[in-house]
Amino acid sequence: MAYAYLFKYIIIGDTGVGKSCLLLQFTDKRFQPVHDLTIGVEFGARMITIDGKQIKLQIWDTAGQESFRSITRSYYRGAAGALLVYDITRRDTFNHLTTWLEDARQHSNSNMVIMLIGNKSDLESRREVKKEEGEAFAREHGLIFMETSAKTASNVEEAFINTAKEIYEKIQEGVFDINNEANGIKIGPQHAATNSTLAGGQGGQQAGGGCC
Amino acid sequence: MNLKKSRNIRSSSSCLDGIGRQDGESKRKRKMAEITQALNATPVNVATLRRMAISEGGLITDEIRCKVWPRLLNVPVENIPEKLDEVNRENDKDYNQVLLDVQRSLRRFPPGMPDEQRMGLQEELIDIILRVLQNNPQLHYYQGYHDIVVTFLLVLGERLATALVEKLSTHHLRDFMDPTMDNTKHILNYLMPIIERVNPEVYECMQQAEVGTIFALSWLITWFGHVLSDFRHVVRLYDFFLACHPLMPIYFAAVIVLYREEEVLECECDMAMMHHLLSQIPQDLPYETLISRAGDLFVQFPPSELAKGVTQECTQQTAASTFTDFGLASAQQRPDTVLRHRRREQQQQQKNGNAVDPQRGTVAVFRPGARRLVRLAVMGITVALGAAALAVVNSALEWAPKLDLQFL
Ligand SMILES: Nc1nc2c(ncn2[C@@H]2O[C@H](COP(=O)(O)OP(=O)(O)OP(=O)(O)O)[C@@H](O)[C@H]2O)c(=O)[nH]1
Ligand SMILES: [Mg+2]
Repeated sequence: MAYAYLFKYIIIGDTGVGKSCLLLQFTDKRFQPVHDLTIGVEFGARMITIDGKQIKLQIWDTAGQESFRSITRSYYRGAAGALLVYDITRRDTFNHLTTWLEDARQHSNSNMVIMLIGNKSDLESRREVKKEEGEAFAREHGLIFMETSAKTASNVEEAFINTAKEIYEKIQEGVFDINNEANGIKIGPQHAATNSTLAGGQGGQQAGGGCC
Repeated sequence: MNLKKSRNIRSSSSCLDGIGRQDGESKRKRKMAEITQALNATPVNVATLRRMAISEGGLITDEIRCKVWPRLLNVPVENIPEKLDEVNRENDKDYNQVLLDVQRSLRRFPPGMPDEQRMGLQEELIDIILRVLQNNPQLHYYQGYHDIVVTFLLVLGERLATALVEKLSTHHLRDFMDPTMDNTKHILNYLMPIIERVNPEVYECMQQAEVGTIFALSWLITWFGHVLSDFRHVVRLYDFFLACHPLMPIYFAAVIVLYREEEVLECECDMAMMHHLLSQIPQDLPYETLISRAGDLFVQFPPSELAKGVTQECTQQTAASTFTDFGLASAQQRPDTVLRHRRREQQQQQKNGNAVDPQRGTVAVFRPGARRLVRLAVMGITVALGAAALAVVNSALEWAPKLDLQFL
């Protein structure tokens, strides 16, 4: 599939906050009530359309457990966007955000767009972190913020796509050096700007062809 | 004996999967008789048991596994207390994490199992993990540990599983249970050198894609329990790993990658694509063939051989921990003898005009297209060295007592 740009994302945050479920909802449009935990890193991809341009999102879903940190960290490098996720029903996952943020900022490029996500918004009755707290944290640290539910799909598209829009704008403004792949952005094989109608579309991954 | 309801739930279905129908039954009977004989011998013939665990079909039933696995790990069953320690969940630092992970482990239980039974087993699973961790404060829980423990629980029941998991955790799994995964990363460094020696083309392709080795992380630290959906395959592999050197899962990982040679070579030369391809493990692997091939590779390229390249690759070598022990352990006599024997054979071949690097003792200098030759060489060894499995057995025997000395 031809794309104009490829953006590399990482998804980070404590274990069990719903990172893999968010990815699955975004790529496959489904929810797995009991999702297997992630060991190491997993990978998903999907095509979206922004400003009439096909953009391929290459998303790295990382393991949340502390001891895997030294392994997952190496995937921060060369990411253009990050989804930093906490669970609105678990206060501790919110409290750990600062550590995650420091870690991400330290190991990624400075222009990386970070989206803060309060996930599991469908579990209102078990909420431990107020929406305002998330907003305040985001404001303080210069992040975009959204509450999502991987279960109901609420705001999931928006979270991934708004991050891409932000990256796209930065490209237009010339903030990102798109010729440097270390920024997590790649120009497509054919820079073909098609007039695609729908944002979204092809879920899942595409097969490659021919190597080495 | 304190038989749990979880015991033997699968023994009926776990028949030999690698043996043809017609003579399967008689082979199976013969093997069972041989295992019984080895178990009844005084002292128990552990060497034979190891060989049985490695050879085609493994240990056949969970009933046999209950008797043989403790022997393979040198756990004296008589000394296991009838009553297990109480587990205090209240003040346990790992409880919340373990609970979260066990709740997400539904896939590890047999599909048809009634919820109530499964929930009971999940409680036992939590208890085993917490009990082992509480008894061994030097061990740190890692996600994936529960994938290993659940296999032991389903085969052995809580009491036996606790004893075996404790032994395993202080030996085979010790490096994974550090506060960080640095030692685990170091162990993963053994993967590429094996692949390089067998198939430089696949190696080159993976290197160019910069895929790394993290795709094999979950294979290594869960002994494939996390990625294989058929429980029979998992226990078959556990038979094999329990009878072998702790690094055997790495050899098995290499064998899987090598088996998928065509796919790897056809894959887009891109880190993400390659990672994705390799981490999706095919569910219909020819396990028996791969097991015997992994055994062969271990004999051909024992860890001590590989270690030279590996340490160079890993610049900052962390606390050597078990690795020094493994290093000690991997200086076995038998595989090296076999290796020397192979080397002589290869030198002979070289005289006859084949591409062989006697320095490294491996088929190493390749022109494009020599791939088939390499593959044949490996397969040839599989056929020629029926003794390979035996060498693996003996090497395992040699390191086992040493390891015990190290840790006791
Ligand atoms: N109600 C509800 N449950 C969710 C939602 N997202 C995830 N979950 C549940 O939360 C659990 C953990 O989700 P995962 O996606 O596996 O979490 P993770 O962040 O990937 O965890 P690690 O892989 O361990 O780092 C799963 O059992 C999901 O079913 C959500 O939006 N709503
Ligand atoms: Mg996950």
